[in-house]
Amino acid sequence: MSTVNQNTDHELMVAVARGNLAGMSEIYDRRHKALFRFFFRLIGRQAPAEDLTHEVFLRMIRYRHTYQAGDMFESWMYRIARNVFADHTKKHRLETPAAEGQMELVESGRPSPFESTMKQQDLALLHRALRALPDEKRELIVLSRFQGLTYEQIGRLVGCESGTVKVRVFRAMKEMGQTFHELRSANSTGEKAS
Amino acid sequence: MTIHSCEQAKELMASQWMGELDGQSAAALHLHLESCAECAAEMESLGAIWEKLGDLPAPEPSLALRARWEQTMQSLAPAPAPSSWARSWRATSWWQSFWPSNPAWQMAIAGLCLVVGLGGGLGAGSWLQRGAMEQNLQRDEVAKLREEVTSTKELVALSLMQQQSAAERLRGVDYSTRMPSMEPQIVAELIHTVKADPNVNVRLAAIDALTKVAGSAQVRESMQTALTQQDSPMVQAALIDYLVDARDRNAVGSIRSLVSRTDVNPAVRAHATDAVNQLSQ
Repeated sequence: MSTVNQNTDHELMVAVARGNLAGMSEIYDRRHKALFRFFFRLIGRQAPAEDLTHEVFLRMIRYRHTYQAGDMFESWMYRIARNVFADHTKKHRLETPAAEGQMELVESGRPSPFESTMKQQDLALLHRALRALPDEKRELIVLSRFQGLTYEQIGRLVGCESGTVKVRVFRAMKEMGQTFHELRSANSTGEKAS
Repeated sequence: MTIHSCEQAKELMASQWMGELDGQSAAALHLHLESCAECAAEMESLGAIWEKLGDLPAPEPSLALRARWEQTMQSLAPAPAPSSWARSWRATSWWQSFWPSNPAWQMAIAGLCLVVGLGGGLGAGSWLQRGAMEQNLQRDEVAKLREEVTSTKELVALSLMQQQSAAERLRGVDYSTRMPSMEPQIVAELIHTVKADPNVNVRLAAIDALTKVAGSAQVRESMQTALTQQDSPMVQAALIDYLVDARDRNAVGSIRSLVSRTDVNPAVRAHATDAVNQLSQ
């Protein structure tokens, strides 16, 4: 019979920091899907999103002693996740010219495997519009809309006031909205022509 | 509450999407939208997109991810007291991890084993035929062959550490830790890895590997230099730990320099302060 662990993530992590590594399994069960989705929304591909998710948990174990009683678990976890993503981006930029990567995302006519699972055309276009945003803007939308972080938490994470985060989220939404409408009109023109 | 500009209204719109708006602010936003057609249009259009984002399907991780995690946790679990069966299993497992995947290295090691075998066979023949003096000669030959095997292991480690793939470089670092003693060439390569490898994990593994030679002042000096050059908080923290564990009082200056740097992660700065205190005691 399985027992439900009622400790908070923070309590579990404090125990892990003191050497009780078994608590990591519970943290993994609770958090790995959210982290995977965070990376997937940022990168758009399954394998690297899984690699980075795994990497976050490895770093949590390795740097468990840096977790302090005053830390908020979620902020600490996303701080590690953002570092992992930054390292990935740095490496990826060295390997692949940025312009080429962007073109593949925006101009390719083929839907990605993830997009092809979406029954509604609009949702696939919305996903593409999100993918077309620059990393830092996409990250703000992902953190606020999908990961459930408040503007206050995002502000602490990215190092600015919550008011600034709100304005940036608004601008990112506006840019994404424009791309979405452009994709939609290009799509309907294409359908009419064929 | 009164809204004085469209910029202020945008902040409130973003709050509205997240459900973070109180009644007073919501009323003020409503009033503004009634008088500003541009903001009203944006609220309608972007609000609809915000809602629609919630309809995007949630991607799911594959089962392989969990399998990888379980393997990691298994490797971290404390080992039970070894039975004779467990000992033989562990020996096989050790051998499997020792055996390189590159066929060229496999052939090289197999060739060396053959030479060792022939050497041993010839040695036995000589012992029968030529007596005690020949035995000494054979011992020298076996010792030489052992040296060759060790240098082959070093070559394998060095070769792996120079691979493109981070996973291979990690294997190389791991391989270097399995040698009974660490040759200067390996130490130099590990220090280079700590300083220049693009992958944080490889750098961290190299720091761990160098624990064996923490007694060397030269190595500790290199680690101090590496500390001032690193930009990864993880690596900075690991290097601080390394120098504290080595009780290197000469490292106080390098560690203290991190405390005053504003570009260094606050957690690392706090860790550095603790380290300075520990080393100054």
